[in-house]
Amino acid sequence: MNDSALPWLTDRASPPGTLACGLRRPDGNFVCHSVEETCPAATIEEILAHFDLLAAAVFTEQPVPDWSTWSFEKGQIRFVERPDGWRLALVVRSESDAALALDVLSLEFLSLPLEI
Amino acid sequence: MDNTKKNRAPRQILFVDDDPDFLGVLKETFRMLSEEGWVIHCATSPKMALDLLKRQRMDLAVVDLNMPLLDGVQFLSLLGKRYSDLKKVTLTSFATEEKRSQCLAAGAELVIEKPHSPDGFKSVFAMLEDLISWEPQQGFQGMLRRVGLQDVIQMECLGRNSSVLEVQNGQVLGRIYIEDGSILHATDGKLTGEAALQRLLALTGGSFELVPFEKPPERTIEGQWEFLLMEAARMRDEGAAQTAAAESKAAAETPSVSTVPVDVVETLICSGNGEPLYHADCADVNARVELLKQIAGQAAHLAQMLPLGKFDRVEMQFPGARAIAQARPDRLVFVRTVNQPASS
Repeated sequence: MNDSALPWLTDRASPPGTLACGLRRPDGNFVCHSVEETCPAATIEEILAHFDLLAAAVFTEQPVPDWSTWSFEKGQIRFVERPDGWRLALVVRSESDAALALDVLSLEFLSLPLEI
Repeated sequence: MDNTKKNRAPRQILFVDDDPDFLGVLKETFRMLSEEGWVIHCATSPKMALDLLKRQRMDLAVVDLNMPLLDGVQFLSLLGKRYSDLKKVTLTSFATEEKRSQCLAAGAELVIEKPHSPDGFKSVFAMLEDLISWEPQQGFQGMLRRVGLQDVIQMECLGRNSSVLEVQNGQVLGRIYIEDGSILHATDGKLTGEAALQRLLALTGGSFELVPFEKPPERTIEGQWEFLLMEAARMRDEGAAQTAAAESKAAAETPSVSTVPVDVVETLICSGNGEPLYHADCADVNARVELLKQIAGQAAHLAQMLPLGKFDRVEMQFPGARAIAQARPDRLVFVRTVNQPASS
């Protein structure tokens, strides 16, 4: 995994209210920071891998968005995909600091220097 | 009878059902179960029920879902407008999930299956007794606490009604003006327009009353109600509304993300099973319905993987544009906006 990705994930992408966050690089390698045991790394990896299918199913007639936020009654999932193939998934509790930080973290991720 | 029941005034309960035999059984059974604590009024038609309500203040109305001429959902809506304090329950032999949602949106506190056995009658009695004994302490009163201010506004807009919604929270009185299903104006203290509307929708407690429509002093809201309600939901989820409530002055003076001017370029509202109910500027309704169904399917998959509860919506950010797709059991909604060009 790229050196700068993991520190960013653990230091920046985990404000209070974060349940889990994960990064997937273009070659399929994956790193996850799981805060709550109800959101284990294996599930986040599966969700990130599943994003291909999800995007293919949902965005057939339009471009894939810069990011999408899936809101549930207790939390939100933010998917972000960079043009170079890096993907981010953030799972946060609703109405938390982490929910407020989603846009800022997404923008940071889009401009983060990461190796392909 | 316990002392609490002995000391209280008899409860006035109205049952509305077009089956007089069922009403007879129900009246006798509940009279015994309540140990004379309930005074039971029976009506075999909505008209008869309205006549009874004119003569007697009721604590609870229990309405059959399937009645000729005016069905239970329509009648609940009518009761909500005329008697906003009246608690309402739907009693039915069979309710689909869609009907159940419609009843709750129309103001029912509970949707209960009709009892067919002595134990069934006891269960229903216990539920109704609990409901009429319950006094709201926090949150909105009556239907607002259960259904939500957004649902009331949505009901008024979908029905193309004209009304003024007066919202009381502490010392602050807010008003939302709706004419022919469009939100025209909102006030909340010194705030007006969308800022006032969003703040009212962010309230977590208070009471409201629907009053007859009167022309607002000005029109301050132009946006489509679907987008306005979704924006409010987004703000509430992100906690921005709480910040606005705590720092009202700053909220009034500082532009936020929500005040970025946008144009609504596409709107689609469907029933829960994908039947289009309303659309505007939607080039391919079928494709959008398919998209909404795909989103609902994918969301259900995500909900199985993570303990986040029921899905509500997905927001998609594109360069200079945004789309929101909401998928609930009773409705599917798609709204697309584009940012207005920055003025030079």
